[in-house]
Amino acid sequence: MDYIGEHTFWALAGRFFTYLAFTGALGTALFYGVNWLRPGACSGPDELGRTKTPDPAYLNAGRGAFALHSLGVLGILGVLLTAILSHWFEFDYVWRHSSRDLPIQYVFSALWEGQEGSFLIWMVWHVLLGWILVRSARSWEHGTMAVVGLVQLLLTSMLLGVYVFGTKIGSSPFTLIRELPENLGLPWTTIKDYLIRIPAFRDGQGLNPLLQNYWMVIHPPTLFLGFAATLIPFAYAVAGWVERRPLEWVTPALPWVFFGVGVLGTGILMGGAWAYEALSFGGFWAWDPVENASLVPWITLVAAGHVMFIVKKKKTSGGLTAILTFLTFILVLYSTFLTRSGVLGDSSVHSFVDLGLNGQLMLLLGFFAAGSLLLLLLRWNALPKNAADEAFSSREFWLVIGSLVLLLSAVQISFSTSIPVLNKLIGPEGLLPILGEAMAPPADVFRHYHSIQIPVAIVVSLFMAAVPFLRWDATPNEMLRRVLPSLAVSLVLSALAAWGLKFDQPMYTVLLFTGMFAAVANLDYWLRYLRGTWRAGGLALTHLGFALILLGALISNGKKQAISQNPVFLHKDFPANEHILLPLRDTVSMHPYWVEWTGERREGHFQLYDVHFYGTNPDQTPGEKLFTLSPYIQLNPRMGNVREPSTKHFWDRDVYTYVSFADMRSTEEKESGWTEEMEATMGRGEEVFVFDSYLMRCDSILVNDAQMVQETGDLAALDMAARLTLKHMDGRSETVDVPYQVRGNQASPGEAEFPTLGVKARFEGVSDDPGRFKMKFWRKAPDEQEFILLQAFIFPYINVLWLGVVLLAIGTGMAVAKRLAGPKAAPKA
Amino acid sequence: MKRGHLIALVVIALLVGALMVTIQDASTYATFELAQRKAPEQVTVVGQLDLEQPITFNAQTSMLRFTAVDKDGARCVVYFNQPKPTDFERAEEVTLTGMSSGDTAFFAQDILMKCPSKYADEAKLSAP
Repeated sequence: MDYIGEHTFWALAGRFFTYLAFTGALGTALFYGVNWLRPGACSGPDELGRTKTPDPAYLNAGRGAFALHSLGVLGILGVLLTAILSHWFEFDYVWRHSSRDLPIQYVFSALWEGQEGSFLIWMVWHVLLGWILVRSARSWEHGTMAVVGLVQLLLTSMLLGVYVFGTKIGSSPFTLIRELPENLGLPWTTIKDYLIRIPAFRDGQGLNPLLQNYWMVIHPPTLFLGFAATLIPFAYAVAGWVERRPLEWVTPALPWVFFGVGVLGTGILMGGAWAYEALSFGGFWAWDPVENASLVPWITLVAAGHVMFIVKKKKTSGGLTAILTFLTFILVLYSTFLTRSGVLGDSSVHSFVDLGLNGQLMLLLGFFAAGSLLLLLLRWNALPKNAADEAFSSREFWLVIGSLVLLLSAVQISFSTSIPVLNKLIGPEGLLPILGEAMAPPADVFRHYHSIQIPVAIVVSLFMAAVPFLRWDATPNEMLRRVLPSLAVSLVLSALAAWGLKFDQPMYTVLLFTGMFAAVANLDYWLRYLRGTWRAGGLALTHLGFALILLGALISNGKKQAISQNPVFLHKDFPANEHILLPLRDTVSMHPYWVEWTGERREGHFQLYDVHFYGTNPDQTPGEKLFTLSPYIQLNPRMGNVREPSTKHFWDRDVYTYVSFADMRSTEEKESGWTEEMEATMGRGEEVFVFDSYLMRCDSILVNDAQMVQETGDLAALDMAARLTLKHMDGRSETVDVPYQVRGNQASPGEAEFPTLGVKARFEGVSDDPGRFKMKFWRKAPDEQEFILLQAFIFPYINVLWLGVVLLAIGTGMAVAKRLAGPKAAPKA
Repeated sequence: MKRGHLIALVVIALLVGALMVTIQDASTYATFELAQRKAPEQVTVVGQLDLEQPITFNAQTSMLRFTAVDKDGARCVVYFNQPKPTDFERAEEVTLTGMSSGDTAFFAQDILMKCPSKYADEAKLSAP
């Protein structure tokens, strides 16, 4: 049957590109792989140190297959983008993630909102990086591209959307809604012009309002580029270990590691910036499982990058380097599994939908985890044996220790984030019921993570300060003394800062010092020993950037000040909270400001609340007007309203506010004055307690009129009423009839008031229980003044954090540039 | 390699220590009845809102009071000293972190709501 208005051709084209990408990836893996693993044709030197030339025919076939794969991936991207831009809502993906009123800049956010789209963007980056690899890997091309082909094959399979022996393999973004399993065979799918007839197809569900933020346009692609960048060192490591070159792969992989550290780090903190600007949890980091899942691979990537230097300079630590590199890529896959499988449902504010691909995701993860482990075991003896211990004062010794500390940090974050997974595995209802009761994530996540991560940060920042001053092999004492000026300067600076910012918690104060030490020492190292050159400055600037991130996070969070305090005293064990009540046009003290809420206004689908900030005079009265903030509520009837913050940025602090409660009822509803809606299901003779002090009784159900359609016996019209008696505890009582009408298949609920008792009842409809009815009740609201609740924080020196992110990006960029332009880099193949 | 072994030992000891701390911190999933027995220990209760009982929010104290039903079907009055979340009544499931008062009430420190996903609307398509 031909459906009217459907873009069936494009759905087919999309599928075609998916299969093309799949076949191309298969070809890439096969042609490169066969040529690579063919006996004697290995691109690396064999056991006797001979290098054989690979077969150029296979090489060309591999490149050709990768070209086809790339065409397929770009084709998928093109068709999907066209479908979203053209509002083809017969596509399930388009219908679920976009709508007609979606501003053009958020089309990309819609593109990668869903699981299929995020796999797609990840694959697009792999394709791009794959081509750089083809151009630059030279003797490593076979091994690395075989791995890239294999990874792409498995990722493309996530988009196939085919059923093999009843098992779903992948989920295609080109599935039409009428083709969804739950809709197959439904009557409407046989309507030729269903797209025109069914109103639901006229517009999509729209993008989650939380994601309609500019950070959400750039955060996911940056994060996925960072994720994609970890594939390249992984591919090099696999190639190196298979070819028994367990150390040599490090040199070409190193720039990719810096690239990954820079991009992934920036991507993670862009997510933080989004959380800070669009979410109202009051900060840029919440130790949310989804944030943790992307942080952990970054930490292990940083650790891997550091030990790679040892491999390069000292030809040792090859095993640790490989373990960390493999682990990083596996953790990237694990992160995808965590965030995309729905397993975190109970523990994350991010909600993800289970597409029924958990099995496939777990296979993917298991395949690479088991494969890496096997490779390590099989090839461990190819590692050169280390004869001597590293000297205590050597750079390599401390780099190893530092990377182990980072690993410790990663393990704790991973473990706590994985609690829902552990429950699935060993919980009472898991595969192996070891635990008696299910573990829940820690009640106070901040305290929980900080108890380990703050000591880790202290050690790491100490290492960042001192280790750059160490030499390979052994460090003479006079070299060690070079770090002393920075130590002295940072002691003075951090003492001043601790005094000025009133640091009182010992751990925070220590971190303030070590963070400052790391920043000062690296600045000193750059200016004095690297003479401030950009080319060599990568290491120092990256460290400086990360030290500033730590300091900015510490100061802005550790000294975050809630200036909105609820003055109402509840109980000595139950502290008043940090939400201040602002009655309309009343000036309220919020030290060091006075604030006034002057009303609300509507701009599109934003409800803005203008809050004016005034200074405080010496006599504690409101002073002159300083600035106005307009926190808002994004109205979204389909997915729920979202409270969004408004922030005033100063160079040394941010004043951050959001409306934590506002009466969202419509004006008529407010004026009608009914409140505390509640539901009840009642039958004749039943009684329910309502509003604490009333007893509602259903005396009888009156049927006033009922007419049947003669031929069918269906109900044509019905007039009925429920007679309710409401009794107050003080003995007063009233009886009213609540009407209910049915005309054809149109039901109209009726309402009735108990005038003296101030309660309203509505007859909602019949219940699933025969003979019982759904009722709703309201009570009369006392006359009240309009108000909002506001939460406001001061984040001191948060700009230090953002400056750190910029420096981190610049520093890693310079490290990449240095290695690309270095003397060892040969012209491109 | 002696120093290498020593480092490995220290790292393993630290890892075990860190994981012990982590496990100690983990809270437990409980029913209201278990929460009451464990009071004042922090627990996590997963349940649903009882819409047949009033949900009241006092803006002066920003105190939310509602009744929740846990997985065993037990009801409990819950106090939450935070502003009422948007679309609170629409939550299909609520995850309450907090402690029992020991008798009749539960004091929630944090509430995670699971809202009806937008996919729920999809069902409407099938009945045009």
